[in-house]
Amino acid sequence: MVRVFSTPSCPYCVALKGYLKERNIEFQDIDVSQDLEAQKEMIEKSGQYGVPVIDINGEIIIGFNQERIKQLLKL
Amino acid sequence: MIYDLIIIGGGPAGITAGIYAARKKLKTLLITKEWGGQIVKANEIENWPGTKIISGTELIKQMTEHLKEFEIEIKQDKEVINLDKKGDNFLVRDNELEYEARTVIIATGKIPRMLNVSGEEEFKGKGVSICATCDAPMFKNKDVAVVGGGNSGFSTALDLVKYAKKVYILEFFEEMKGDPTTKEKLANTGKVEFITNVAIKEIKGTKFVDSLVYEDRKTSKDNEIKVQGVFISVGMEAKVGFAEKLVELNKIGEIVIDKNNYTKTPGLFAAGDITDIKYEQIVIACGEGAKAVLAATNYLENK
Repeated sequence: MVRVFSTPSCPYCVALKGYLKERNIEFQDIDVSQDLEAQKEMIEKSGQYGVPVIDINGEIIIGFNQERIKQLLKL
Repeated sequence: MIYDLIIIGGGPAGITAGIYAARKKLKTLLITKEWGGQIVKANEIENWPGTKIISGTELIKQMTEHLKEFEIEIKQDKEVINLDKKGDNFLVRDNELEYEARTVIIATGKIPRMLNVSGEEEFKGKGVSICATCDAPMFKNKDVAVVGGGNSGFSTALDLVKYAKKVYILEFFEEMKGDPTTKEKLANTGKVEFITNVAIKEIKGTKFVDSLVYEDRKTSKDNEIKVQGVFISVGMEAKVGFAEKLVELNKIGEIVIDKNNYTKTPGLFAAGDITDIKYEQIVIACGEGAKAVLAATNYLENK
């Protein structure tokens, strides 16, 4: 499962989600500016505050790191 | 292989230069660490003629796609670390290879200035941030500090008061430099404390930021404030280290150019925010990138 932790105002989040949509990757879109439980989870799992964070089957990637995302999604 | 032109930088100036160079049929290489730069953080751009409103990421995507329509060689995710002369030509070295060209355009723009204090690097992303637009929502009900009392610090604080419990704005000089109207707006939230004469000494924490230590420049006494976030808004700086030998810099470290984008070294041009052109706008950077290529073309023809 792919989960994206993001905020509405963050430019790289918009870019990341656009990237996934263009490739028809289904993902759960989590707005951590509203969902504070998810915000806590994201900070704990990634060890930092920056968005976006993407969780690909339990693997955590910080930022819009295209190379890692390609690798894990086998794109 | 000797290129006619190497463009360093992938923001508005560099991309426009690339488009013009390709259309001039110059054998061109564009080297960039990233696409966009400062523009990526702009959510709403409303002064790009022809498009009423567009985000920075979308505009840079369009520009990059446009560039890639042309015949131009591109090395992305590469940082230029040295630029030197070789006879009349130039040697450009990135972290991997070295390239030779007859002319070079530097268009690397500006990056956020940092404080260079202890803890700043260590806690980057763990409380230290340079992008309130990105990170403000993560500081709901928390206490944060904004370093820098100019307009950029004020706009950072405006993003933060929507979420944070308390916002300190810390200014090095005697007075806040930002717009008084914005200052009043911030003061009216009841969440903001303005502190002047502040020299930041250290950012402390364990896993995340816990506090910030500063010296009160009037009393020379150290103070520590408990904050979970430190937002750095002390302006932008030009980083020209890789080309230092070949250019003249002004007082604030920008490359001095003449009205046709020539630097002091023949064959070496510069464009956009890295130069001493006063006004920093996307449309101006694009224009400067175009001018630099036209000047370089002229230089190549007359050589």
